[in-house]
Amino acid sequence: MYAIEIQNLMKSFSSDVLAIDHLNLTIPEDRIYALLGPNGAGKTTTLSILTTLLLPTSGAAQVMGFDVVRQAAQVRENIGVTFQEIVLDPDLTGREVLDIHGRLYKMPTRQRQERIIEMVKLVELDEAIDRLVKTYSGGMKRRLELVRGLMTHPKVLFLDEPTQGLDPHNRAKIWDYIHELRRQTGLTIMLTTHYMEEAEALADGVGIIDHGKLVADSTPQALVTQLGADVVHIVGHGSPQPFLQALQQLPYIQEIHQSDDEGIHLQVGVDNGNRRLPEIIHLASRNGSQNGSQDEFMIDEISVARPSLGDVFLKLTGRALRDR
Amino acid sequence: MVEASVTLWQKHMLKFIRNPEEPLGMLLQPILWVVLFGVGMRALVGGVAPNVGDYLTFMLPGIITLTALGGAVTSGASLLDERLRGIIKEYLVAPIPRLSILSGNALSTVTKALLQALLILILGWLMGARLNSNILSVLAGLLALGVYTVGFAGIALSVAARVRSNLGYHGLIFLLNLPLLFASNALYPLATLPRWMQFLAWINPTTYVIDSMRLLIYNGSNTFSLGLSAAILVIFAALGMWLAYSSFKNVVST
Ligand SMILES: Nc1ncnc2c1ncn2[C@@H]1O[C@H](COP(=O)(O)OP(=O)(O)OP(=O)(O)O)[C@@H](O)[C@H]1O
Ligand SMILES: [Mg+2]
Repeated sequence: MYAIEIQNLMKSFSSDVLAIDHLNLTIPEDRIYALLGPNGAGKTTTLSILTTLLLPTSGAAQVMGFDVVRQAAQVRENIGVTFQEIVLDPDLTGREVLDIHGRLYKMPTRQRQERIIEMVKLVELDEAIDRLVKTYSGGMKRRLELVRGLMTHPKVLFLDEPTQGLDPHNRAKIWDYIHELRRQTGLTIMLTTHYMEEAEALADGVGIIDHGKLVADSTPQALVTQLGADVVHIVGHGSPQPFLQALQQLPYIQEIHQSDDEGIHLQVGVDNGNRRLPEIIHLASRNGSQNGSQDEFMIDEISVARPSLGDVFLKLTGRALRDR
Repeated sequence: MVEASVTLWQKHMLKFIRNPEEPLGMLLQPILWVVLFGVGMRALVGGVAPNVGDYLTFMLPGIITLTALGGAVTSGASLLDERLRGIIKEYLVAPIPRLSILSGNALSTVTKALLQALLILILGWLMGARLNSNILSVLAGLLALGVYTVGFAGIALSVAARVRSNLGYHGLIFLLNLPLLFASNALYPLATLPRWMQFLAWINPTTYVIDSMRLLIYNGSNTFSLGLSAAILVIFAALGMWLAYSSFKNVVST
């Protein structure tokens, strides 16, 4: 059975803009799936429909086999959610937040108390749990929200940008907790993120969404290997045309992408970056200085890297994926 | 439904007790009304309108109602705050009826209104307003207040579910609040009012809660039969909550 199924989902807020455009997606049980996309791509809207906060304009979706519109009550019983913005009552203590949450899901008192202890241990909030939430740091609030979502043993956990606004240390912590959950059976996680490293670090499946359309749906590994074993990034100025033409003749070139937002940025997929780097530089210098005018292409920077999801995004959409 | 309402009611009360400003304001407001306004008016009106008896006793039910209105406004503001900050989403994705979010809030409003009413009764008693010796009757008067408060809380919640900002909320509520008080029998006997204002007072549920409280709590004379007042108050409460529910449902799932 699939944990999440989406068929031809559409959502528009006004007559001219489609926030979600013919979205189709299936996520098997026990997986971690990351939805990756830039600002305004439609990530939050997708999660809002799946978590019964928004009604779709057309199409359908099921969570654990329950329809998100007609069987919203059953869907709600099976999910845990954290939202993009922090939504915690500042005048309650961490323990009260978790306790009230458990009561809303009809958990018996004993079970609630035990679960709170377990959850507090997982995210290392022992010292802070009886303090008012308004005294928490951003990282502590995110951790509390994570376990609030987990508190009631959901089958599917939705995390909307779980590490937004966190420093690298706190981000790594959240990743650790999610890895920890990975070992737990019967839990499917769907998360959204801007960070390609996050999707690579956490997810078994990745969907890339842009303007409400799913432009890729695969594993992180399959997506990056499409590009070639290595990617050579070249930043330069001048006219790249002769150089590009020469590059395209070479047998070991797998992909070339060009974007012009900050000087000329070329992204070249090759079979072996370290070996091909000198050849590419050689080629650039041969095709740059011939005319001696503003036509020439000069390399300012060159580097070799393993392809990242950011490279994939650039390839699929023609635009760079930026962290905020 | 009941479980979720009670949980959310407890949450509101917990926050209420924890935050020292709200209970303090809640204590001070009625004291100011009774002591300053009530005493002043008693001296002023005493001779002018002898047919109402002691003026302080006459206007205490009005003060109680006014404070209950103030409490309902605060509770509506807390729903608005939870909505604007997104806290409400936690409840919307939980397997609880939408109505319990509203009823938990309204229940806490009623609780606060009753606490304030008790305080005002005690203050009034200290200043010479004699209570009805039949305690059941006094309790019935408080029940009428509770039912009325549910109705007005519903109106406040409905506004809170629709407006886009705090400013809009308070503006709208102010517009509703004042006529409810002044176009009623709260401060003056109905018979002294011009015809058009009498008409406004007749269609104002505030008139009926005050009329029944005068009878039940202070053993005063009533203009309307208790049965009529009770029916109107129950209908008002049901309409208020229905209004809140339908506004709330529309806003949260577009
Ligand atoms: N309530 C709304 N009313 C009108 N338009 C909306 C509403 N919510 C979202 N949108 C629009 O729908 C599109 C998708 O928004 P959404 O919030 O799903 O993006 P996102 O991928 O979550 O972006 P971000 O990374 O910034 O959170 C955007 O163009 C946004 O402006
Ligand atoms: Mg978003």
